[in-house]
Amino acid sequence: MVVKAVETPNIGFDFSNHARNQFLGQRLQGTPKATSTGTTIVGVIFGGGDSGEEAGVCLGADTRATGGPIVADKNCEKIHYLTPQIRCCGAGTAADTEFVTNLISSNLELHALSQGRPARIVTAMTMLKQYLFRYQGHVGAHLVLGGVDSTGPHLFTVHAHGSTDKLPYVTMGSGSLAAMAVFESSFKENMTRAEAVALVARAIRSGIFNDLGSGSNVDVAVITKSGTEMLRNYETPNERSNKSRNYKFRRGTTAWTKENVRSLIVSEDVKITTGAGKDQGGFEAKQVPTGAGVGGEEGMDLDS
Amino acid sequence: MANISSVDISRLKNGEVNLGTSIMAVQFEGGVVIGADSRTTTGSYIANRVTDKLTHIHDRIYCCRSGSAADTQAVADVVHQHAQVYTSVYGSPPPVATAAALFEKMCYDNKDQLSAGIIVAGWDKEAGGSVYNIPLGGGMFQQPWAIGGSGSTYVYGYCDATYREGWSEEETVKFVKNSGCIRLCVITKDKVERHFVPGNELPRFWEGKEVVGNMSGQRVGVTA
Amino acid sequence: MALYAQPPTSYSDPTTAPIEHRFNPYSDNGGSILAIAGKDFSVIAGDTRQSEGYNIQTRYARKVWQLTDKVVLATNGFSADGNNFVKRVKQRLEWYEHAHHKPMGLKSIARMIQTLLYGKRFFPYYVYNILGGIEEDGSGAVYSFDPVGSYEREACRAAGAAQSLIQPFLDNQVYFKNQQPEPGAAPFVAGNLPLSTILSLVVDSFTSATERHIEVGDGMEIYVVMNKGRTTDDLIGPGILSEGMHVEELGALGEGGGERTFLVTSPLKRD
Repeated sequence: MVVKAVETPNIGFDFSNHARNQFLGQRLQGTPKATSTGTTIVGVIFGGGDSGEEAGVCLGADTRATGGPIVADKNCEKIHYLTPQIRCCGAGTAADTEFVTNLISSNLELHALSQGRPARIVTAMTMLKQYLFRYQGHVGAHLVLGGVDSTGPHLFTVHAHGSTDKLPYVTMGSGSLAAMAVFESSFKENMTRAEAVALVARAIRSGIFNDLGSGSNVDVAVITKSGTEMLRNYETPNERSNKSRNYKFRRGTTAWTKENVRSLIVSEDVKITTGAGKDQGGFEAKQVPTGAGVGGEEGMDLDS
Repeated sequence: MANISSVDISRLKNGEVNLGTSIMAVQFEGGVVIGADSRTTTGSYIANRVTDKLTHIHDRIYCCRSGSAADTQAVADVVHQHAQVYTSVYGSPPPVATAAALFEKMCYDNKDQLSAGIIVAGWDKEAGGSVYNIPLGGGMFQQPWAIGGSGSTYVYGYCDATYREGWSEEETVKFVKNSGCIRLCVITKDKVERHFVPGNELPRFWEGKEVVGNMSGQRVGVTA
Repeated sequence: MALYAQPPTSYSDPTTAPIEHRFNPYSDNGGSILAIAGKDFSVIAGDTRQSEGYNIQTRYARKVWQLTDKVVLATNGFSADGNNFVKRVKQRLEWYEHAHHKPMGLKSIARMIQTLLYGKRFFPYYVYNILGGIEEDGSGAVYSFDPVGSYEREACRAAGAAQSLIQPFLDNQVYFKNQQPEPGAAPFVAGNLPLSTILSLVVDSFTSATERHIEVGDGMEIYVVMNKGRTTDDLIGPGILSEGMHVEELGALGEGGGERTFLVTSPLKRD
């Protein structure tokens, strides 16, 4: 008997094209660049102590995504969902922050199901740091992780190489210095929820206006034991103005060289030979236009 | 000495978080005193100004971390797990030597991937207080006192000249404080006690007032 | 593997390749400029942001300079070189006036700028220049230069960080590139657009570049140079400029030959 070798499943990233890409990079103008979220992301812990306010975490992010000096997305979402009570802001390579938060969110759901209780923030933090450490910084995700669990509010930063810090107020991304300047001058312990949201918005604005990598709008998330509130576009300090001219083109502006009109509707005969619809005596198979969509048997009308 | 001066910052990957650090651990009769500064940096930016580099491994075993934050955290996490499993299997806490041997194995086997300079210190019932230095290449050296990190070069002379055997707990704490540590931790049979020295309360004898008098940094008030 | 000259570098040992450390005398300060010529006027504009990397150095740095009563110069690239270059041009213009008792003409300034730039052929001014103004014959003109002095007269030109965003737009709207005229209608004539249209195109160019380029923003300065005797009714008066815009006339620098220069300013987004 011939025993076939068990094929190892492909898990994780595939670096086999690395050499080829570097070779190509030398011959072309450069290797393809990933969209990076030159970003301002922040978080603060509020409430608790003698404030009488429910303890919680407030996260913030700007909404600009860039590819080099070009704005790739003017209103992207950088506050990612992990669990109902945990959110994660991402800076760095957009694809990496998106993928790593999705993956960990999925694993946290499975973890919660198997343990019969919601996952804690440290669990999310440990999963993230171990994943990122495994890839030695090649997964370019710089994260601000925050949430509330059975042990209270928690706030972390997670760097791409897998190191973590636990602090009452944090900033990350290219706008982190501008935002940290606001926190270092104005942060107080045991702030009210409203104070925390205002401070976070001010820190993000500082990034938006003083860091070229950050821009557009302010997104805020507020997490307390009693619930999570996502304040998408909490502030929009950079609304687009109207253009002074109308750039609608007259129909026929674009030149064309040849015209070819083809019918995309295909008809075919279908004869059912088995099962309930099997051709029986006295039952006639019907011709069905297979191009028919939602519109029904008639098919859709062509623009006339 | 070579182990300290060969802390090669260029080994850090681009954008990696670094613990440009001063760490130390000193043994005394009945325990150890460990200390560290509180700064982590990315380039010239201070990523965390209240860092805790005195990392818990087991009830009476701690480590001081220097080098890459990511690498040292990962190694400490693994050793912490081993220490917990050890306790479950053998029904008693691991000796400091065992924890240090685990650190040494990780640092030696992965020396080409890691930039981690670690001091393991703690108390166990066999050896009492003990200090193990595990510098960059993954060697292991049991010492009565150890210093590490990029800042340690500045206090080598002081430590070498000052340290004496047979100090009490209080004398040992004073020695670590005088070496410029912000966070301190005293580990004995009975307690793990943490101290925090704010930057403005650090001793300033190294400015040399004892030698040259109050001539530097003094301003005389003048009324207009 | 024979295809490759060297084996790929390994991840475990990334710092074995030699690294050269050397002082770099240049930097890129972002921003964008453009100019469009009309029949008897010329429009020269630039934004006012000066940046380095992700940092804004100032929200107001001048990039467009009035040289004479009928010539305006816009500079873009490395601002230290740009400022120094303008200083040298102005000095040469003053010397010319002392020697010839008249200001230098547009065409001559263009040729002088070429020699000034080429004079530093092997340590160039890292500056892209666009020169605009009124020609000897009274027509609006635009000259554009590369950093080492190659130049040509054109109807319009964009340069700087957002050149790749603005120039195709101008090609389409000023030169009518990729546009077919209506069947039976007269063919498009490139250039010679009315002032109001050109002003709108300039404003829209900068607001759009601000939206999509991180180095463009904060404010813009639009210089309008008009030939002598030309009407100003299409620039000054109620309802001509949109809200937030401001216009002022710049007094004559020399004895005044009748040409008039106006400065239109407008805020841009600051993010």
